[in-house]
Amino acid sequence: MISKMPSPTMRLLARAAGTLPFIVAAVVIVVVWQLVVTLTRPDPSVLPPPIDVLATFGQLIGNGELATDTAYSLARVCAAWLLSAVIAVPLGLLMGTSRSIENIVNPFVELLRPISPLAWIPMAILWFGIGESGKVFVVVIGAFFPVLLNTVVGVKSVDPALLHAGEVFGCNTRFALFRRVVVPASMPAVVVGLRIGFGTGWAAIIAAELVAAQSGLGYLIANGMDVLRADQVLVGMIVIGLLGLLFDTFFRFLQRRFGRGD
Amino acid sequence: MCAAASIGKSLRINGVAKTYATRAGEPLSALGPISIDVEAGEFFVVVGPSGCGKTTLLHLLAGFLKPTEGQILVGGEPIAGPGLDRSVVFQSYALFPWLSVIENVEFGLRAKRMSRSRQREIALHQLRLVGLESFANKRIDELSGGMKQRVAIARAFAVEPSILLMDEPFGALDALTRRVLQRELLRVWQEQRRTVIFITHSVSEALFLADRISLMSARPGRIKAEWRVDASRPRDVTAEPLVKLEREIYAQLDTELTALSTS
Repeated sequence: MISKMPSPTMRLLARAAGTLPFIVAAVVIVVVWQLVVTLTRPDPSVLPPPIDVLATFGQLIGNGELATDTAYSLARVCAAWLLSAVIAVPLGLLMGTSRSIENIVNPFVELLRPISPLAWIPMAILWFGIGESGKVFVVVIGAFFPVLLNTVVGVKSVDPALLHAGEVFGCNTRFALFRRVVVPASMPAVVVGLRIGFGTGWAAIIAAELVAAQSGLGYLIANGMDVLRADQVLVGMIVIGLLGLLFDTFFRFLQRRFGRGD
Repeated sequence: MCAAASIGKSLRINGVAKTYATRAGEPLSALGPISIDVEAGEFFVVVGPSGCGKTTLLHLLAGFLKPTEGQILVGGEPIAGPGLDRSVVFQSYALFPWLSVIENVEFGLRAKRMSRSRQREIALHQLRLVGLESFANKRIDELSGGMKQRVAIARAFAVEPSILLMDEPFGALDALTRRVLQRELLRVWQEQRRTVIFITHSVSEALFLADRISLMSARPGRIKAEWRVDASRPRDVTAEPLVKLEREIYAQLDTELTALSTS
């Protein structure tokens, strides 16, 4: 009757089997990279061999530079992502619930949304200089819309039977129904929005740091380019990719936990 | 432990009709006008072909819809919107997946003036009646369809409704689970008598459960015929008097189905 729960060992095996394709892909990338280096012998300032990049990686970890830059980027993206979530989730819940609020807000959203967060970087520099607030601003632009739109869709696609059940079982007011049914029922979609928003925010912070920063992973790779250190650029890129994957995995885990029953 | 004295309230459906406006602006009659009187504590089953307005009727009784004409009275009082006095068991279960089994059963009790510990006590009692006490802290998605509908039945009885509305509650279940749940529903109902309005398209289900069976006609749904079932419970639907009744109901139903297929 009850759905079968796999044993802990089976689950561990399944998870290991799930990560296997990723390990294979990573190995293929490194092998192809090494082949290109072996066959075409490019200048190391253009494309260093994987082993050199690994050495640089160790060196940047050793002198603490990588940790510092990662911490800067993370702090910026987390602050900005939280800020956009604090605005976008309540606004999205309201827009999904009230047709008139949606009609008022939607034109603003549709006009501003196509402007890439990267296009805001020059304005951010003009308005905020190259301090922290400019970068936070750019990431907020990047994370805001996915969170907002997913929240709106989440509210609108709440199963009507759940709304009926809420009304039958004691939600006498629109607010009670909103609080006890609409909000929790939309949570899975909100988590999806937060996940996508974090991803777009992560992309935006790197771009902002490329242009206007003295710290962060974006700065690390921009600086690598300036001093013709392709190995440093590649270390930065690899860390950006791995961290992005890590956050995405974390949010997918949250998604499963908040996932719908049916 | 739960007020056994109460057997629910009478239901009077008085000339109720529902008309929708089509896109072209023309009125489309979905239901009625129909009039039904259901006694307090009666198990009343409505049978009808798909699309005859059974669900519209149930939504009117629940208060999700307002009738275009007529009145619905519960215990002599007109209804005003959905409320705890008329709880519903939905075909799609409509359980809240973010809550545990017991929290689902307690959901309706939150609106009542009683302590949390009293709510828990009532919910556990209801879960015990449907045999799911040991599943109280499970997540909804860990349950089978039959178990979900048991939880929904427990949730519906927990608020001590005057009337229990059931919208093809076992329609999504396999034949064997359906059989088990029909028996279980009767057991729970006999323990805490409520007025039940049960909608189904299964004649044998109606024969097994009902005090009275009402057959609805094709759209716009009207009451076409009515039968009282006096056989004592638990019933054997293969026994002669019930088979005879079944034949009679099918004869009437067939003329409706012909009407549907030729319209």
